[in-house]
Amino acid sequence: MNKELEHSFIELLEEHQNIVHKVCRLYTNNYDAHNDLFQEITIQLWKAYPKFRGDSKFSTWMYRVGLNTAITLYRKSKRRVKTQEFDAVQFKIKAEDYDNTEEQQLKLLYEAVYQLDDINKALVFLYLEDKNYKEISETLGISEVNARVKMNRVKTKLKTILNP
Amino acid sequence: MDELELLKKHWKSTADSDQKLSAKQLYPMLLKKSSSIVKTLFYISIAELVFWILINFLPLFSSSYLKDLEQIYGNNLALVLLSVLTFSVVILFVYLLYKAYKKISVTDNTKQLMASILRTRKIVKYYVIYNLSMIFLSVPISLYFTSQNDSALHDKIIHFTTSQTIVFYLITFMVTGVCVLIFWLFYKLIYGILLRRLNRNYLELKKLEM
Repeated sequence: MNKELEHSFIELLEEHQNIVHKVCRLYTNNYDAHNDLFQEITIQLWKAYPKFRGDSKFSTWMYRVGLNTAITLYRKSKRRVKTQEFDAVQFKIKAEDYDNTEEQQLKLLYEAVYQLDDINKALVFLYLEDKNYKEISETLGISEVNARVKMNRVKTKLKTILNP
Repeated sequence: MDELELLKKHWKSTADSDQKLSAKQLYPMLLKKSSSIVKTLFYISIAELVFWILINFLPLFSSSYLKDLEQIYGNNLALVLLSVLTFSVVILFVYLLYKAYKKISVTDNTKQLMASILRTRKIVKYYVIYNLSMIFLSVPISLYFTSQNDSALHDKIIHFTTSQTIVFYLITFMVTGVCVLIFWLFYKLIYGILLRRLNRNYLELKKLEM
């Protein structure tokens, strides 16, 4: 691969790296695992980059490769903790704010999202990233109607968690 | 406020709080090797191909084994046909496997990507089934031919009563069957562990379409 390609890729990755970080935040539960997944997504992006035609936005393309790597390609690293414990710090919720109702709600919500399976997590992630149902369905390979139905189910589930 | 809207608001407000890696930190990442499931599957399928190719072809380099084969099958034509068949099957599977791997693309949608990986794994599965079936069939068949052409064995078997002959072949079938079964379970276990998560997620996506 030539230097020019490498340079343009790094430039784009540096600019949009927060997308990869966010995927890692949702699919891992500690610093080392986060870095491992970030590394793997970077490799997958780089390997696929020569075929990136620019007919979609680089960021849109990143969502797909990032999620595909997290859900399908990434093998659990040895350093990854087995228990799926939720780490509030990773989600930037300060412990001292727990008594605050909104922070408490957020903690519960993040915990609930974190407990979802890989596919539902991807749905919520794309929703949080303001992707419409068409984009969500195209990324995951399901129909738009089903994406909507599934999302509504997740919403109901979250509502129940907050208002038992 | 809708629960997810509250979450979205917070999610966005923390969007840029992750560590920012510089270009200098990102460059070395491009040189690292992938540890993806596709790569692992690729190495396993190569190992399986090599393993079965060795099992099939290595004995052919031994002149005493060839002599035995000639004795068992009587004439060379059957042996040549068997070798051609084995070779053709190996070439066919290498071709199918190559095609399947080329189809795996990380830029496909999630469901498509999972389907491509599972299709690749299926080809390896068929190859293993083919080999195990060949073993299961060839042991009793070669025993039959040996009993016909090997005079020492022939002399022993000739005195068997019908029921003894049946028991003799039954035991051979059962022992071969158990060996093949153990092999198959071992194989299922390896792939079962490796692809557990992928299978689960693929089923979840398929369930959505029902």
